Amino acid sequence: MCDSCGCPSPSHTHDHDHSHDHDHSSKTVDVHASLFAANDAMAKANRDHFDELGAVALNLISSPGSGKTTLLEHTIEALKGEIKIGVIEGDPETDRDAERIRAKGVPVVQLTTGGACHLDAAMTHKGFHLLEKEPGYEPVDLLFIENVGNLVCPASFDLGEHERVVLVSVPEGPDKPAKYPRTFGTAHTFLITKTDLLPYFDFPVEEARGEALKTNPNLKVMELSSTTGDGFDAWLDYLRAMVKAKKAA
Amino acid sequence: MHEMSLVQGLFEQLKGLAAENNSTKVLSVTMEIGPICGVVVDSFQFGFEILSSQEEMFKNTELIIEIPEVTYTCTSCGHQEVSAGERPDACAKCDEFFLTPSGGDDLILKRVEME
Repeated sequence: MCDSCGCPSPSHTHDHDHSHDHDHSSKTVDVHASLFAANDAMAKANRDHFDELGAVALNLISSPGSGKTTLLEHTIEALKGEIKIGVIEGDPETDRDAERIRAKGVPVVQLTTGGACHLDAAMTHKGFHLLEKEPGYEPVDLLFIENVGNLVCPASFDLGEHERVVLVSVPEGPDKPAKYPRTFGTAHTFLITKTDLLPYFDFPVEEARGEALKTNPNLKVMELSSTTGDGFDAWLDYLRAMVKAKKAA
Repeated sequence: MHEMSLVQGLFEQLKGLAAENNSTKVLSVTMEIGPICGVVVDSFQFGFEILSSQEEMFKNTELIIEIPEVTYTCTSCGHQEVSAGERPDACAKCDEFFLTPSGGDDLILKRVEME
């Protein structure tokens, strides 16, 4: 028990001035294996599979309510007839997001994690095969994996995506990149969403951009509003360019 | 709390290692937790305590945690700074803000002591 609050966390220190009375049959094995190794191997298999199929996979990460599903709805609408899109939705419970995507006429699979705070590569693998079994499924050019709304845990799990997109909406404030450096450090693209709300919130765009680039100098930064369509063309061109490059590869 | 699922994975791996080595008891586990690997040490310890108490072979397992250092390289002048985890605010030499970290981003099972 913890001495200060009584919680069941470890309170012993790990100094070894005492001698362990292990008997002589004990044995030490040097392992040196990453706990992320199993997930990373599965993620690589996913990525190889997407490559074989000529599909681009994107992992969308953000806090709950930053506009991931709304972004997808408007993206599907804009690229209809041009790019074949599929979506894997991750949520702790309900298939509400999948229903919203399904209403847009693209194949979608809802993964409910049963409370877990992130998707992992094995869930993504299962999700993609379920997607392929959706009625009317045709091979997709672009797969969106909408992660569980959480800006911390998803950063540690490669799903096999080609690029990782992190979203922060204007009402959330500009200090997210500084507070969640691992998420921004592992992302490729940073989307500032709900820019139509800029007049009502204190959100210095340049500050957010600067903070994000500090954690990851290679980030592509875009600003957009799904509601008004401002900045949406740059986002669509980014998607088109990736799909085109994948087809040419 | 993705630490809990990582600890679950760790215990599966430990059970496999114990079986390979005909061991029934794990005495200690040495982990290297990188300061920028996205794992909170306290949460990892908490998950370890909870799960280890539920199985006989892990009842008295000691968790030893080592924290490796991170090297931050300035993208402008190349100056390198070694840190125990905290990202330096700026390059100590040229004040540049853009620093690239290396190391310290993995979670490694180093050693297991069994009997």
